[in-house]
Amino acid sequence: MSQALVQFSQVFHRYPGGNGDVLKGVDFQLDAGEMVFLTGASGAGKSTLLRLLALLSRANRGQVVVAGNNLAQLKRGQVPLYRQQIGMIFQNFNLLNDRSVFDNVALPLVIRGYSHQDIGRRVRAALDTVGLLHRERARPATLSGGEQQRVGIARAVVTKPLLLLADEPTGNLDPVMAQEVMRLFERFNDVGVSVLVATHAIDLIERMGHRIVHLEDGRVVAGAGMEAASRLSLGVL
Amino acid sequence: MPVRPNADMQVEGPGWLARIAQDHARVFFFSLGKLVSQPGAALLTAAVIGIALALPAALHLAVNNFQRLAYGWQDELQLSLFLKDEVDEARGQALAESFIKRDGVKQARYLSREQTAAEFRELSGFGEVLDLLERNPLPAVIVVTPDASRSADQVEALAKELAALPEVELSQMDQQWLQRLQTLLTIVERVVLLVSALLGVAVLVIVGNTLRLDIEARRDEIEVMKLIGAPDAFIRLPFLYGGCWLGLLGSWVALLMLAVGLAVLQTPAAQLAALYHSDFAVQGPGAGTILLIIGGGVLLGVAGAWWTVSRHLAAIEPS
Repeated sequence: MSQALVQFSQVFHRYPGGNGDVLKGVDFQLDAGEMVFLTGASGAGKSTLLRLLALLSRANRGQVVVAGNNLAQLKRGQVPLYRQQIGMIFQNFNLLNDRSVFDNVALPLVIRGYSHQDIGRRVRAALDTVGLLHRERARPATLSGGEQQRVGIARAVVTKPLLLLADEPTGNLDPVMAQEVMRLFERFNDVGVSVLVATHAIDLIERMGHRIVHLEDGRVVAGAGMEAASRLSLGVL
Repeated sequence: MPVRPNADMQVEGPGWLARIAQDHARVFFFSLGKLVSQPGAALLTAAVIGIALALPAALHLAVNNFQRLAYGWQDELQLSLFLKDEVDEARGQALAESFIKRDGVKQARYLSREQTAAEFRELSGFGEVLDLLERNPLPAVIVVTPDASRSADQVEALAKELAALPEVELSQMDQQWLQRLQTLLTIVERVVLLVSALLGVAVLVIVGNTLRLDIEARRDEIEVMKLIGAPDAFIRLPFLYGGCWLGLLGSWVALLMLAVGLAVLQTPAAQLAALYHSDFAVQGPGAGTILLIIGGGVLLGVAGAWWTVSRHLAAIEPS
């Protein structure tokens, strides 16, 4: 029997000053080692769900448990250590443009106090995996969108996180690069990293064969999966 | 349930002490590099901090020098007892000898009327005036030098006692103005402390404001760092070093200002002292004062950084 890494139980969330709940009783589970795509129209609650997992917001009601940690009970001082166990990938890359590719990828290791030798070894291994070892000295601004996203992925996986979260990681990429990024996620998933990807790229994910969780108006659509996602891509939803 | 790092993420390599040293070495060079990359802004801030540190330091040095001067004068403090005309030389000599045996008297010297007249001729430059007079108007004097170890109150009590002797017409001691000077210096000393405290706060604000702008400029970077799990202590450290560098640079500027000020004052002060037959020379800051200025600058820089960064970091959260 699979072990749940992420467990959402009747989670409600409303942003301060917002008109209504963005999440309306979400029940959702991600097993350890599983790769799941999160789909839904804009405003369905995909990004909010990822924000709750990244502890950028806390759920108003319900329970979010990650690796046995009830996120509502984590104190402010415990948040950094929690985030160190999660790799996050963003649509806008969130790279530091005044540092080299190497330094960007090294940052999570520096934060954790790895030795220089370990940092060098791990960063180069991560850059090699994403195919950017030859650009380690470059500044992010000199890279293409796809390359920047791969730097972001290398930074997210360099600490071998428990869970990889990606919010619209292919939103700014051309189809070829988007496919390459999705394949990278699969490669990390193959070595045991749990992956949760929020995406609109239905045409990409339908061929990959992973579980799809579809959100509609702040609720998980039971048993919807690929069918609902496809309707979304056709503009029916 | 507390957050547990997964086994794969356990930190490898150096122990905690070596890791702290590694962190500090990294931030040391990183923050120094940032400072060097903006030399104009850093020097401008350091100059303002330098002025804020130099002002109380200069006042402190001035008070110290005046105190040294006053202490030198205290050694030369003398009590002049002008004797009545009817006291003859033998009685005057005997009185002076009896004073020497008294507790609290270092020296007592009898000067006859002839000797006081001769001294007046030699020192005053108005000797000819005496020649115009029919008789020497100057009285015999016993010059008493109190023991320097005696307190001002004890010296005053001695002066009162000697002045009350029947042979003494008048007594005169130059202590009152010295006491006033010392009291004034005590007040100035307190003022220096107050000014130091106020300018210390000014340094905190200057450093704080400089780093606040730096924090704002690096807001995106701080957000990214928080996103990938950097604790506040990690983000704070470069700013603390930044404050430390600014304080250190400011203290060097302050020392430079003091050195220039001393160089400018040294010659005229020596010339003034020579006019009063004194070998007094303006004394610069000692090793203790130099260390205090440098240590104070660094401490205020770090404190200002801590105060600002702690306030602003809490307000920056990734969105």
